[in-house]
Amino acid sequence: MIEVRQLTKRYRTTRAVDGLSFEVKPGYVAGFLGPNGAGKSTTMRAVLGLDRPTSGEALVDGRRYADIRRPMHHVGALLDAGAVHGGRSAYDHLRVLARSNGIKDRRVVATLEQVGLAGVADRRVGSLSLGMKQRLGVAAALLGDPGVLLFDEPVNGLDPEGIRWIRHLMRDLAREGRTVLVSSHLMSEMALTADRVIVIGRGKLILEASMQDLQEKFKKDVLVRSTTPDALVAVLTAAGATARSEDGALFVQGLDAPDIADLAARHRIPIHELTPRSASLEDAYLELTEESVEYRTKETGR
Amino acid sequence: MTDVLNSEWLKLRSVRSTTYVLLAIAVALLGGALVSYLMTADWDTSPPDLQQKFGAADPGVMVVPFAQFCLGVLGALAITSEYGSGMIRTALVSVPRRKAYLLAKTVVVAGVSLVVALVTTLLAYQAGELITGDRPRPISAYDSFGDAVPTLLANTASLVLLGLVGLGLGFLLRSTAGALVTLCGLLFVLPTLTLLLPYPWNDRVYSVMLPVLAPQLSGELPDPPLSPVGAGLVMIAYLVLALGAGAAALLRRDA
Repeated sequence: MIEVRQLTKRYRTTRAVDGLSFEVKPGYVAGFLGPNGAGKSTTMRAVLGLDRPTSGEALVDGRRYADIRRPMHHVGALLDAGAVHGGRSAYDHLRVLARSNGIKDRRVVATLEQVGLAGVADRRVGSLSLGMKQRLGVAAALLGDPGVLLFDEPVNGLDPEGIRWIRHLMRDLAREGRTVLVSSHLMSEMALTADRVIVIGRGKLILEASMQDLQEKFKKDVLVRSTTPDALVAVLTAAGATARSEDGALFVQGLDAPDIADLAARHRIPIHELTPRSASLEDAYLELTEESVEYRTKETGR
Repeated sequence: MTDVLNSEWLKLRSVRSTTYVLLAIAVALLGGALVSYLMTADWDTSPPDLQQKFGAADPGVMVVPFAQFCLGVLGALAITSEYGSGMIRTALVSVPRRKAYLLAKTVVVAGVSLVVALVTTLLAYQAGELITGDRPRPISAYDSFGDAVPTLLANTASLVLLGLVGLGLGFLLRSTAGALVTLCGLLFVLPTLTLLLPYPWNDRVYSVMLPVLAPQLSGELPDPPLSPVGAGLVMIAYLVLALGAGAAALLRRDA
């Protein structure tokens, strides 16, 4: 269980996180979404006690992270896979972390095998590929068999096989009853992994919803083409739908495609095309965060 | 706490920079012994009146300043390598109690420095004795081991101090380059500059410079500005200042 309450973190003049509140409960994968610079990493760093909040608090299982003894048994975190001393072997790196929390070397070996790094255990971390470092970071997070897991952009630098591996891993961890929070700036990635999403922009909460609700909310309209659009509009309006005309097509809201087809058939109105349109999650996400994008390129050709 | 100590001890052992620092000290010992040997050979072929003007062929004179710098580097690297690589964030997530983290690092660096310092000073002493054999003073630095003990202990104390000053600077500055430049300044540049001050301030300020504390602590300097107790207090002041500033930076600032 992760609780973030009215969290604010200010760096000099910028508010990285601004009165953010949300909860993540055990048993599902929570996607933490936002454009670059939205405050995802800052929030995670505050949860892990690396950054001190300007105000508000972040609790893990009801406690401040810094108050937890041997925290690796409760919380596992992958923040930045590159944030490791390159001169140590992968095995030694994990042993260093394990020892600080009283975890046995046996467990280190098992975890290395679990993430598929047993073959490179003796290689120096600096010589590992980005994907392997990512796996090493996951191994570090899993060392203490924690009930709460935080992953900051875990698929960065992974190949397709690695991405699928981490997706399955996160889903499995959630299914085992753990609390899983995964940040990403890609909706397409979260659509495949997350059960719920927390969307933030400019440090503020934009939306907290289940993936299903989000899809429902952004279900759009039905595109209809007919040879006699005016007649169809009259029929549809009478049935309680709204229709707007554009480029010779009708965009109908308030009725499903089968209902529109039935209505048209009953009134003998010919229909040439009938397409239900739902905004892709990516569109939904862009629409949600449009106001809060920190860095954007000038759009051309539109 | 034992867990964190274990972890820190493994950290220090599992990087190559530690090996390199120890190798550098070993090379300095060999160099010091070589210089002593050459001095002694020169002494043997010199006329008696010139023999009286020789300094002591003590490898420690050359080895200790170099080892001071090496241990300062070891102490600084123990933490700046973590800030440089970002490992500090991974480390503080596994040990969020920062006081315990600082204490464990301090204990490990102090322990390693103490062992290295004792071995280095004893080896330097032993090498000097072997080389000068039963030759008299001044070419032989000490008449007996008992005669050497104050110097050996004072040098050991100064070596441990440098390891911890390096660590404190590392916590404060968070950068390897910054910490090493500051160490060089404190050990090699500042002492020379103080001699440019007007009398009597040149002697007074010079007397509290890091490299001249050990000889004043052991009481071997004739007519020193600081008594052994005074020198010891100044050393403690260095220790408190460096580690205190480092602790403040660790506890107050975001990682």
